[in-house]
Amino acid sequence: MRILLIEDDPGLGNAVRDQIAAEGHVPDLAPSLAYARDLCATMSYDLILLDLGLPDGRGLDFLRALRAQGAVTPVMILTAHDRITERIEGLNAGADDYIVKPFDLAELSARIAAVGRRYAGNPNPMVTLGRLQIDLAAHAILGPEGQIDLSQREWVIFEALLQRPGQIISKSQIEDRLYSFDAEVESNTIEVYVSRLRKKLGKDVVQTIRGLGYRLGAP
Amino acid sequence: MRLMRSLRGQLAVGVSAILVVLWLGAVIASAYVVRREINESFDAALQETGERILPLAVVELIAAGDGIAAQRILPIQEQDEHITYDVRDASGKVLMFSHDADPKIFDQVKAEGFFTTASHRVYSRSAVSGQYTIQVAEPLTHRQTALRETVLAMLVPLGVLLPLSLVGVALWVQRGLRPLSHLSVALRLKGADDLTPLALTGLRSELIPIQQAANRLMARLKRALEAERSFAANAAHELRTPIAATLAQTQRLVAESPEGPLRQRAAMVEAELKRLARLAEKLMQLARAEGGAMLGTEHANLVPILQVVLGDFARSHPGRIVADVPRAPLLSRLDPDAFAVLARNLLENALVHGAQAPVSVALSPAGLFSVTNDCPAIPPEVLATLTMRFERAGARSSGSGLGLAIAAGIARGLGQPLTLRSPVTGNRGFQVALMLT
Repeated sequence: MRILLIEDDPGLGNAVRDQIAAEGHVPDLAPSLAYARDLCATMSYDLILLDLGLPDGRGLDFLRALRAQGAVTPVMILTAHDRITERIEGLNAGADDYIVKPFDLAELSARIAAVGRRYAGNPNPMVTLGRLQIDLAAHAILGPEGQIDLSQREWVIFEALLQRPGQIISKSQIEDRLYSFDAEVESNTIEVYVSRLRKKLGKDVVQTIRGLGYRLGAP
Repeated sequence: MRLMRSLRGQLAVGVSAILVVLWLGAVIASAYVVRREINESFDAALQETGERILPLAVVELIAAGDGIAAQRILPIQEQDEHITYDVRDASGKVLMFSHDADPKIFDQVKAEGFFTTASHRVYSRSAVSGQYTIQVAEPLTHRQTALRETVLAMLVPLGVLLPLSLVGVALWVQRGLRPLSHLSVALRLKGADDLTPLALTGLRSELIPIQQAANRLMARLKRALEAERSFAANAAHELRTPIAATLAQTQRLVAESPEGPLRQRAAMVEAELKRLARLAEKLMQLARAEGGAMLGTEHANLVPILQVVLGDFARSHPGRIVADVPRAPLLSRLDPDAFAVLARNLLENALVHGAQAPVSVALSPAGLFSVTNDCPAIPPEVLATLTMRFERAGARSSGSGLGLAIAAGIARGLGQPLTLRSPVTGNRGFQVALMLT
């Protein structure tokens, strides 16, 4: 998933960004609301991790403005405000989840995955695709001949397709999920990963829609 | 003594005592005046009697001539004689006397006019150039009886009216002090942590300064407590971000370190950081709980708060909690954030110290909140110490030892007892209960 992390504390921001990246997501770190607004204007995110106390404003105001614009991007609040009334206020403002600092990075990863699944329309982490049994939470795939291991980037592409079954996902959308702003994208990278996915999961698992992108198939 | 400790009793007794003293003073003064008037009247009657009898007696004695024996004047009908008299010649020989006259009384009289013996008041008058003298006597007891009966007549109403005046004064004082009673009841009914202003209307002008002073004091106390709470909240907030950053960086270090001593050491730092974070969190919660001000200005529905807390625990401890929460709102003056802290601590305590059996959470429609967990029975002497800080009842579990102390602090702020019970059924179980309304 392409995730926008809005956090002004560099120590926490960097650690969370690294954790998200290690989970196979693509994080962009914004240390201020102004920077976050610029990023949102140019990029479509799958999830926003939002700190509430930021140097140039309140995270809740940013969230309310986002919802007022009609944005449905899931938002998870990361905050040092622990009061339940503040939490309810955050959820009422349009947040999808709320996690209080200090938190365990593993718990954060689990919640990110849960929010992603909910927005994909299936909160159940166990998905069946043809002969494949997929555990979205554990990033595990069980085929007819046993466990199938995917690399991190292969998983990101496969998960993106799983989250939108029947829909065409463009190459640039997949690139957004794979690379952050400062990364260089090689021209045929996506094709290489799609080819590897077909080899591991079956040639019909990903359909190429010429000129438009890719779609989840039935292996 | 109890009567005298109350303002109403003191006023009633005081006013009545003053009334009695003034009345008695008035009676004494009246008695003095009455005695003087009685003496004047009785003296006038004595003088009048003597001066009326003397001419008649002189005429009769002259007519009778010399050498007659003393005459005893008999009454027309038998009666007690208050006034007695005798008539004597110049040599002191008794010529005439009334039937009850006692010569011993008259023997003491030597001069004309009024004379008082030990038992009588005597009037003496002579006529015909001192040839005949009449002495009229009246017993002093007669006057004393008249005076006593007069004073008694004034005192008897006092005996009847005094209890009536006591009751009347008490009722009037009670009525007059009713606004003070309202103020007193309003202050008494306020819990120790209820710092909302007294909103009494229609108070007497003497009580308004007390109400205003009490409200000013409570407002000042509230500001001080809010400042304390705000500091605790800000301190918690300021501590959380660096702890979160350090913990997150350490967890990344653990994840990125190769297998070996470095990773093990990083994992130990991570565990200690988590412990530090938990302890800091609990200490801040304890500071807030013991800072009081657990009551909100308005009633709040605690059911959704409990549902959010239960949702968190259902996620972190799936299948461990069995909840019985009413559908109808439960309104309480307990601050919703304080209730969330209370519920979390009791649930954490039950999960950490209880056996692996499910923890029961119940909130009755009447407002009784209880958390019950399975465990061996806890001895009463241990039970009594569980709400003390850092008390783990000898458990080697990972608890901070502050959870029940925090809950007890919140209960004190609410003004309700935190009830600890063990065993709950048979010889097992531990339950913490608190009435929220």
